[in-house]
Amino acid sequence: MNDLIPMLGGFLSDPFELFNIPIEEWVTQFVNWLVDTFRSFFRTYVSPPVKAVMESVQWLLTSTPPLIFLAVLFVIGWRSASWKVGLFAIIAFTIIGFMGLWDGLMVTLSLVITAVLFCLVIGIPIGILCSRKDLTYTILRPILDIMQTTPPFVYLVPAVMLFSIGNVPGLIATIIFAMPPTIRLTNLGIRQVPGQYTEAATAFGSTPRQILWKVQVPLALPTIMAGLNQTIMLALSMVVIAAIIGAGGLGLEVFQGLNRLDIGQAFVGGLGIVLLAMVLDRITQGLGDKAPGNRAGGDE
Amino acid sequence: MIRAEGVTKIFGPDPDSVPPLLKQGKTKDEIQAETGHVVGVNNASFQVGAGEVFVIMGLSGSGKSTLIRCINRLIEPTYGKIILDDPEFGDQDIASMDEQTLRQMRSSRMSMVFQHFALFPHRTVLSNVVYGLEVQGRDKAEREELGKKYLEMVGLGGWGDHYPNELSGGMQQRVGLARAVATEAKILLMDEPFSALDPLIKVQMQDELIKIQRELDRTILFITHDLDEAMRIGDHIAIMEAGEIVQIGNPEEILVNPKTEYVANFVEHADPTGVITASTVALPFKDRHFEASGEEQDVTYWHRKGYPEIRFGVDKDGKLKRMTFEGNNVSIHALETCINEADNAPARHTDAAVYCQEDTILKQVMRGRAYSELPVVVNDSEGRMTGVIDEPELINGILEKRGYAQDD
Repeated sequence: MNDLIPMLGGFLSDPFELFNIPIEEWVTQFVNWLVDTFRSFFRTYVSPPVKAVMESVQWLLTSTPPLIFLAVLFVIGWRSASWKVGLFAIIAFTIIGFMGLWDGLMVTLSLVITAVLFCLVIGIPIGILCSRKDLTYTILRPILDIMQTTPPFVYLVPAVMLFSIGNVPGLIATIIFAMPPTIRLTNLGIRQVPGQYTEAATAFGSTPRQILWKVQVPLALPTIMAGLNQTIMLALSMVVIAAIIGAGGLGLEVFQGLNRLDIGQAFVGGLGIVLLAMVLDRITQGLGDKAPGNRAGGDE
Repeated sequence: MIRAEGVTKIFGPDPDSVPPLLKQGKTKDEIQAETGHVVGVNNASFQVGAGEVFVIMGLSGSGKSTLIRCINRLIEPTYGKIILDDPEFGDQDIASMDEQTLRQMRSSRMSMVFQHFALFPHRTVLSNVVYGLEVQGRDKAEREELGKKYLEMVGLGGWGDHYPNELSGGMQQRVGLARAVATEAKILLMDEPFSALDPLIKVQMQDELIKIQRELDRTILFITHDLDEAMRIGDHIAIMEAGEIVQIGNPEEILVNPKTEYVANFVEHADPTGVITASTVALPFKDRHFEASGEEQDVTYWHRKGYPEIRFGVDKDGKLKRMTFEGNNVSIHALETCINEADNAPARHTDAAVYCQEDTILKQVMRGRAYSELPVVVNDSEGRMTGVIDEPELINGILEKRGYAQDD
């Protein structure tokens, strides 16, 4: 009876002393278990394809002479958006080149391209699946939220434990971080296709597959492109952070600059990243505007 | 061609609980208030013959769009049969078709035109028109050829490479029509296809549809809320109210003989002059209304009671041979031959009379009366005189939508 009073007093002054949820321990145990169990699986089956794609893209970009690269870039910018975007892309890349960061630019670009390729290949089918089955989306939604809102640094630790350091773990973390917009906006785009079009397609005897590929996906393309744009931006930001675990490129310039307190080097790297981001953004936005599904706007 | 038997659609979680309530005579609104189920279509039965235009008409919410979607199962009917009788395939019940057969039927035997066109905005006009053929799996050259042919037919030959949003509403619906007829399906479902169009364009499209229908000999199931449209294009009309078909008949039957108050209200303001036929309003050529007034050679003269100055000379077969007005002989002309003259030089004759057929519409009869002051004579298909139309009959026909002396 006498003991009870101080206990009650202690509870009132600090109620959270009473009990502690050991989530920290659980997570540590879970990650340890994950690493122990799947490390060899990930290293044999996940790393090689990612690495192979990355090396091919990198080889292609670095072995192209810069002048030819710039010419191709102009054509891409011009065809996907306008000649102004093409011109802007050339100027931006030339500035980066004259800052002495051409090689870093190519590495970063190849990392982004690789990550985005995997995001699309995995994300679009999952997005389509979500749009057709409500249950899939209900289950996937909290997972997507976690993938997107977890601070990017948090991915890096398990990525290193599973894949060691270098470009590949950086890429894996990037793919996971950048994929949600592709899934979300593919799902959203398909769901937003007005019912009258799918009804018309059904009335003409289309199979569900024909409706998907002839009507829903083309009409959802502007939205899917918006997802691609977001995915590219997220990938770019993550690729920079991944420099911490040994990924190369422009991020490495920033990271090294910060480590050595060399503000100039960090700023130059940062400027390169900003310019690259602007070029990629303009090009993908242009793609979205030119998508055939955009004609729906003027319909009724 | 299509026979719907007791087609019923009930929306809600437990449709089987609703039919007993319907049998008790509860209305759609009562059922919705009590159980939350919506009766979209209740026990609709009708028959559409090959090559005819069958119009389903009703106000919004009457279930007509639901009913037409039950026919190609864009909406699954809860009960009932939809028999497709086609000599090529035999009788088939659409309501119980499996997915595969259903898709085949939709792609090659029954196509559809939509109220808001529903053209695919990402496809060119031509590629919209060939969509059905693409689904059928025809090869590209054949598709394009057919597509161009039908695009030509709806008057949009040069527009194949444009996108739908570059076309006006009327043109878009022409594309919709071309897309539907291009599959060469024998049956065309049209869900208020012209409701979204301007009145002028609408009439133009109706004429064009009638023309195309004659050319291609398709069977058309047409939905509308516009009575004049229904009367213009329909061979038969079914009127729907609160999910039920309340009357089926040809335009004239519905106009002259509305079965319920709802139908009567509907047709009250319809323009009867294009629908009602001469035989409906004519004063029958019978003893009760006519008196003999002398004989001459091969004919017997008759005059309408109270009007001895106009005499009709009829031979023993019942054919009108001569007519006199105030003792003078009057020439007799077919309505068709004098309509143009009446339009060009409106001088009303008292020395010439006009005859028409039993199925001539009032509009034409009136134009005949502009040519001649004398009553219009109505002949049957054998050329026998069956009645006359004078002012009282015309006025009654227009105002009351029925004959002046229909009591016999």
